[in-house]
Amino acid sequence: MVAVDAGTQVTDLMVRDHACLTYGEPEELFDLTAAFARDGLASGLKVVWLSDDAPGRAVSELTRRGVTVEAAIAAGQLSAAPCEGQLLSGQAFSAEQALGWLNGELSACRAEGFPGLRVAVDMGWALRPVTGVEQLPDFEEGIAAAMAGTTMSVLCQYDRERFDPVTLASVAAFHTRSVAAATYYADAVLRICRQYAPPGIRLAGEIDYHAEEPLALALAEAIRLDGDITINMSGLSFIDAPCTRMIADAARSLAASRRVVLHCHPAIADQFALFGVADVPGLILVTADER
Amino acid sequence: MSGDPRGRHQPPGNGAPDGAGQGAGAGGDTPLLDQAFDGDSLYALRAAVAAHAARAGLPQDRADDLVVAAHELAANSVLHGPGHGRLRLWQHERALLCEVSDDGVPSAAGDGPGGGRGYNDHARWHSERGHGLWLVRQVADQASLHSGPGGTIARVSFTLPPPR
Repeated sequence: MVAVDAGTQVTDLMVRDHACLTYGEPEELFDLTAAFARDGLASGLKVVWLSDDAPGRAVSELTRRGVTVEAAIAAGQLSAAPCEGQLLSGQAFSAEQALGWLNGELSACRAEGFPGLRVAVDMGWALRPVTGVEQLPDFEEGIAAAMAGTTMSVLCQYDRERFDPVTLASVAAFHTRSVAAATYYADAVLRICRQYAPPGIRLAGEIDYHAEEPLALALAEAIRLDGDITINMSGLSFIDAPCTRMIADAARSLAASRRVVLHCHPAIADQFALFGVADVPGLILVTADER
Repeated sequence: MSGDPRGRHQPPGNGAPDGAGQGAGAGGDTPLLDQAFDGDSLYALRAAVAAHAARAGLPQDRADDLVVAAHELAANSVLHGPGHGRLRLWQHERALLCEVSDDGVPSAAGDGPGGGRGYNDHARWHSERGHGLWLVRQVADQASLHSGPGGTIARVSFTLPPPR
């Protein structure tokens, strides 16, 4: 498969969008959410993220991706909270309570003087044994209705590997757009997709000459992005000589005009060093921690 | 990643092949792995080599290098040889030896299954910086490549750490 997803890019979302984000792995979720938060903060909007992870993790994932978290939290412009206590109370869900929470956030945002609100909601809680989970479509329908006349946008986040297609289909109709990372290649062994925060591309799995064509496409599109470029290979466990050479050549030529960051495991960093990227000005080889 | 000068010895039956796929890999040592491959099974081949390298006691970083070397040699048979081949892995004394053989060479440059870019040409084994066989030489403790009318045999050696 060599194709760029037809779905909207997370960076193209507008006010009153009620977008359905589907993701395949935590890296993708955090990346797309970071871009959503970053762009919202940059426009002066208030950003609220209900995360299925601990709020501390959510904050550190945003920080790691270049979002200026601390100042925004201090200014009351950004908050990260768990679903429990906002959407859920004691592992029980009700659409009415959840919509009440959302309207409360909207009122608070107006009272605080922000020109608009961006809300990201991880729906992972609905995969656990929660009473009232059958009201999820009612919640989504209510969000769509609450959007009218506001300056809000909402990004609902669904793990496409774990939610069943019936559930995904039942909520899809209530959204104005579907959002996913632009994907150049995906199979059981390898995934090549755009990265949004920081901008660049991301490779995960194992890559060899079979994927030279989508890799070339991904690199060509990365070159068209503005500013510094990150090639995130922290999820890559194998890369062969032709693909190493292709990335090294692209990085070398890009580094003449801007900063290029290669992010990879130690063994792959050693391989890139063999291909002569260690001493190129503007090219930074970051060795990823074992995670 | 650098080559380790210790562990110098020749793998058993290391001569110019008159029929690749014959004779090598054994020499009294039982193969740990003997696996046929083509372009669609390189992922499985890498996984098998990685598993056996770890089990034989090769440290993780050297096992990664062995996987790289095995892959590049196999890819060479797929792209610049007959499109398929056979990989054998065995332990000889304190080294892990990996042999990749195929039964044919591209008839002429530009004429082989993968475009026949001349990788079987001995003279280029050292010089093609940045290419697969160059990388093999960078990561292996020892490497050799023999091509003849009957095919190609490539071998790499990775020194095992002293027994604890």
